[in-house]
Formats: sequence, structure tokens, C-alpha cells
Amino acid sequence: MLDSLSASLKDALKKLAGKTVVDRAAVDELTKDLQRALISSDVNVKLVIDLSKAIRTRSLEEEPPKGTNVREHVLRIVYQELVRLVWASTDVKLEPQTILMAGLQGSGKTTTTAKIARFFQKKGMKVGVICADTFRPGAYDQLSTLCQKINIPCIGDPKGTDARKIVKEGLVTTKDLEVVIVDTQGRHALEADLIQEIIDLNAITKATHRWLVIDAALGQQASEQARRFHEAIGIDGVIITKMDGTAKGGGALSAVAETKSGIVFVGAGETVENLERFDPDGFISRLLGMGDMHALMERAGEVMTGEEVDVNAMMKGKFSLRDMYKQLEALNKMGPLKQIMSMLPMGNMKLPDGVYDVTTTKMVRYRIIMDSMTDAELDDPSLITSSRLQRIARGAGASPEEVRELLKYYKMMQRTLKGLRGATGGKFNMQRMMKRFTGSQ
Amino acid sequence: MFGGLKERLRAARERLGTSIGETVKPPAALESAAPEIPAAVTPASPSLVDKVKLLIIDRELVVSDKDVSDALSVLEMTLLESDVALPTSDAIIAHVRKSLVGKHRKIGESVDALVVRALKNALLAVLGTGFDLTEYIKTHEHPVKILFTGVNGTGKTTTVAKVGSYLKKQGFSVVIGAGDTFRAGAIEQIDVHAQRLGIKIIQHQAGADPSAVLFDTVQYAISHKIDVVLADTAGRFHTKANLMSQLGKIKRVMNPDLVVYVDEAVAGNDAVVRAAEFERTIGADAVVLTKADMDSRGGAAISIAHTIKKPLMFLGTGQSYDDIIPFSPQQVVEELLGGDT
Repeated sequence: MLDSLSASLKDALKKLAGKTVVDRAAVDELTKDLQRALISSDVNVKLVIDLSKAIRTRSLEEEPPKGTNVREHVLRIVYQELVRLVWASTDVKLEPQTILMAGLQGSGKTTTTAKIARFFQKKGMKVGVICADTFRPGAYDQLSTLCQKINIPCIGDPKGTDARKIVKEGLVTTKDLEVVIVDTQGRHALEADLIQEIIDLNAITKATHRWLVIDAALGQQASEQARRFHEAIGIDGVIITKMDGTAKGGGALSAVAETKSGIVFVGAGETVENLERFDPDGFISRLLGMGDMHALMERAGEVMTGEEVDVNAMMKGKFSLRDMYKQLEALNKMGPLKQIMSMLPMGNMKLPDGVYDVTTTKMVRYRIIMDSMTDAELDDPSLITSSRLQRIARGAGASPEEVRELLKYYKMMQRTLKGLRGATGGKFNMQRMMKRFTGSQ
Repeated sequence: MFGGLKERLRAARERLGTSIGETVKPPAALESAAPEIPAAVTPASPSLVDKVKLLIIDRELVVSDKDVSDALSVLEMTLLESDVALPTSDAIIAHVRKSLVGKHRKIGESVDALVVRALKNALLAVLGTGFDLTEYIKTHEHPVKILFTGVNGTGKTTTVAKVGSYLKKQGFSVVIGAGDTFRAGAIEQIDVHAQRLGIKIIQHQAGADPSAVLFDTVQYAISHKIDVVLADTAGRFHTKANLMSQLGKIKRVMNPDLVVYVDEAVAGNDAVVRAAEFERTIGADAVVLTKADMDSRGGAAISIAHTIKKPLMFLGTGQSYDDIIPFSPQQVVEELLGGDT
């Protein structure tokens, strides 16, 4: 995600790399490229123009600090201005609270409601949700199905027509719970009676937080819609959804600037686990192609202990089937490979598409097949002859084709990881990358 | 929906008009000064001056690249602010530039008309022709099978219900296939729609194979002599290879006559990326744009039409079943640029 934006930004910055003095023409060119990059990522046009003006003025007027070259100087200014743009991260406090969800139709409020409920549940809070969507058919069924899966009480009335009443009653039922999330019907700013409804719901719930859910693909409309929602109920946090597509989420940036709030969560995937905390520094670093190590570490720490996957050994090309087994196991908990890879500081490295094409079901199959291999085979897959292959297949209840496919996938992964090493000058080192990453801030 | 774009385009057009008007006038003044010198030397009859004047007025002037470049960059910003994707707005600008620069125009002719014509042609070139679903159904063998695809949350299910209601009013018999077996509550959602509209719905339980559901729907339509099959599917991102191949299977199994790509009018630049990807992997014969009532500027319509070169069929404009209008490019462009000048 966000890869095309960072690619075009990097192109723009590259043009400054060879320069020795900050000259007007080069900065002009950079701001123009930056403008195009941000606009094509759906950031509000006025915002982009303000931003690029600020960058231009600062780049030309500020003296580069001693020891930094022109590129670093301008890069830092771009970075600082972008951070200012996304404002601050909103703190999620683990305390009793009521959250009101708002957003346009189809932005993903209901799915996100379940995801947030899961988030608080995992942190050990008692959570309940209220379904205040009385308009869309099946809305209650959707939310209650999602909640059932994670054992969270869902209050609502599939036949009810009065959202205000449902919420009032729901608040009574959930008064013993710590976190109550109110899912609402999708609405846009021009529907006056629906806006009035959400104002009323806000008053009834006395919501601690009013979070606006924004589809990552939302275009220039984002500013306007966010402004009107903000005027109605005072938005204090934005959630970007559908970040697993190719959309860049620029609309969410406009919304954040408009509401002077921060991005609370980022949703990227269809299961209730696919929710990340937003980290503005990491977001901008990733935008500029420096990788969001922090988010990855946070995530990895949650699902596995450090020794399970030795990233360094993997990157050095020492990659056996055993590593792949561990990796598949870990990935299963962490989410799709593509998501993980986008968080690693690979810059704009393009990985072959085939690497990502392993579905969750296939991963499970692969693990079963590997379970029927011997230790020696796991350490050195070249041992696997056709008779061994037959045995493995029979042991795993798989066809020999599947075993071959697994070996093929292994070889591809191995090649890819070797390639990574090659691409970064033969000395790819996570620590070094991290140092560079933190040093650049 | 195009209200915002309309306003902006008018402003850009005025700018373009004045910039051509301004740059064109000075040479006219110069030339009119020149022939006056001989007129002063030889006290000729006033009829000669009149003749010269006439000559200048009838003369054609050439619009140069320089005349329009400033105004065109304003137009470009306008398009970008209206959610027209970058490559698409580039294409429109190029088209307008090409049709303006080097154009001869008579001084008497209004600059405005020239600009309007150029813009209108550019937009029409991009929007293509509309798609008349009623006509299509009438001229094709029944049942006409229509498959709806798109990413998550664009409004496929609601659109299926709306199109069902629209076709029912046109006198066709309709059956809906509940092909979204993945999202929680999706089957219940389409079921309620179908009941309210009095349309037969074929459904399996959640988690079933959508291809099987839609196959059954087609079989039902054949044996009951139903005119149109509307097949709903689960929203999916073009980046998910397995979900896209599931869609490929659905397409093979039900063999639709029309694949309709559904996207939202408020989508920004990504609309182009995903439309292109859907077109590439599954194909699309027509496009439905939803949520067009959100004060959106309609740029997505222009970009999607330009990217996949497929006609827009309907616009979804609200939450009730009647909020769907057939899309007619001429009318939209006419409304954007014409009439009230």
C-alpha cells in the first residue's frame, strides 16, 4: 500500500540528489512533482498547494544545517511538513468509553466496528456493540454475525426503525461494560435528517469519541464531507479503511487536516484482526520510502516470540524449509505476506507477484506437507528425491504435485530473499536499516 | 452530481476564453494601425478605411500554444480538484490543446463558442456513448445474464436491487442471485430487498460457493422463462489474486451476457487503478457509478470511462429504489457546458 505515491515522491527527490546548492529551479521542480504525487494520491488540492508552498519557501530560505547535503535538507523539510499534515496520532486509552462511528455509505463502518471491538477485547476490556443502523437491510445480521465469532455482545433490533430508541435501550443493557461502540448507518453530508439523527445519537450516547471512517479510495470529496461531519458532531479521530487495495489514503489526510484530529486506526483486510494502530512518523517514513519498522515490530511482538523467525539469517540467504515453516506459521498470525513486506524498508523494490499468491488455505496445506518431512529434509531440501517425494506426499495425504509446488514456492522465496540481499549492496542488515531509518528523523 | 464540476468548468472556460481574447486583440489593433498610415498620407475616401476594417474583421486569426497554456493549467487544476485522475486529465488537456492550437478563427466568432466546442468534444471523446440496457435486453436472447462486480463497499447489492426495480418497471421479469456468500449479513440484505420489490431470489447459505448459487439462478431463469438474471457478488479487491480467480470461475460457470463494474462516484485516483485491473482480469461491458448524490464532482465518471473505454450505464443517486438514472453522455456534457451561456 501507498507504494505508488512513495515511488513518485522518490523520483521527485532523486532529482535533487546531484545538486550541490539549493537552486530555485530544482526546488520548483520538486514541489511540482510533489504536488502531482500528492494530488494523484487524492490529497485535497488546496492542502497540497499550501503544503508545497511551505516546502518551497522553507527549502529556499532556511540555511541547511552543517554537515547535511541539499537532498537531506529538503527531505527533512518535506518530512516535517508532511508530519504536520497528518497532525498527531490520537491516543487510544484503555479506559471505559463510548465510541460513536460515523461515515459515508459503504466506507466500512460495520466491519471496522467489529475490528475495534476485537482490538479492545484483545487488550482485556469488556466490550459491547450497539447496532444503530436501522436502514440498510441485513446490517444487524452483519454486525451480530461478526460479533458472535469473537464473543462480543451485539445489541440491536433487526426490525426496529428508531435508531435513537435502540441506542437508548442499548446503553442501559451495556452499562456494565467498559467499552461500548455504536455503529451507525452510512450517511453523507447532504442528507439533513440523517445528519440530525447522528447529532441526536451523539447527544444520547454522550460519546467519548466520535470517529469518522474514511475509505482509502475517497477522493477530493473527503475534505468537504469531513468538514460537515465535524461541524455536526465534532470528529476527534479518523479511521482509514480498505488500505489493502491500491488506494493511497490521501482522502483520509484531507479529512484529518479538516477535523484537526488524528488517524486512530488503519483497516487493511476483511477479517476482524486486520486493524493497525496508526503511527504518523511511520506513515510518513513509509511515504518517503524508508519503511515503517516500528509498526512491524509492534505487530510481530504481539504474535510471536523473538526467536521464532530469524529475520537476519533469512536475509543472509540462509533459508531452509524449516525457516519457511516458521515463517508460514508466523505469517498466518500476522496477515498476508504482502502486508508484511510493505512494512519492511525495502524502498521501492518490486517483488515478483507470485510471492504473494499463497493463500491462507495453501499455507495450511504446505505446513501439513512439511510436517511429514524428516529433519534432514527440512534442513536441506535438495535431499528430496522422487521416492522421498512420494513418501512425503503419502504421509501428508497430498498429491506429489502439491509437494512439488511447495518446493517450487520455497525456491522462489529463497531466490527473492537472495535478491533482496543483492539489491542492497550485499550487506543487507536489519540493524543498519533501522539505524538509517531512525537517524533520518 | 455534476454540479460542482459544472461550476468549475465554467470558471476555467471563462479564463480560457479571456486569455485567447486578450492575446488575439493586440495584433488586430496593430494591423488596423498600419493601413491607417497610408490613409493619412493620401486623403482617400472613407470607404477605403471601411474596407480595411472589414478585411480585419473577416480575417481569421490563429490561436497559438502560448495563448492557451496558462489557461489550460488552470483547467487541469480544475479537473484534478474534481477527482478526475491525473492520466485522464492529462488526456483531456491534450485533446483541448490540440483542438484549440493552430485553429483559425474569425474575429467575429465568439471565443466562448470555440472553447466550449473544444471542451465539449474532449469530454464527449472521453465519456463515449451511453449504454441502453432496455434496448440490449430487448435485442438479446433471454434470459439476459448480468453479473455485478466491484470492490468492497461500492454499493453492488443496492445497485442490483435498484436495477431489478428499474427493469421490473420496464415490464421485464427478473430473478436475483445472492452471490455474496462471504460478507456477514449480505444474504439477509439482498433477501430483504428482493422481498420488498417482489422479485424472486435464489440463495444458498453463507459460505456457499457463489458459482453454484449463480448457476442455480440461471437454471431457474431458464426453466421459468425469466427475462433477466441479476447476479450479485461479494466485494473484492483487485489485489487479492484468489478472490479474483473466484470471480473468474463465476464468470465461466454462469457465462454472463454483461459484466457490470460498480464503483462509487466519490472515489479518487484509485478508481482508475482498480477499474483497469477489473477490466483486465474479468472484463467489464458497462459501468454503474453509485453515490452520485454526495455532491461529488463526477470526476470518477470521466476517469473510469476514459481508462477502460466502457460505457456508463447507470448513476445511483440516493438510497431509495428509484434513485437510479440511465446515463447519457450527451446530456451530461450539454448540462455541464451548454445552455446557460
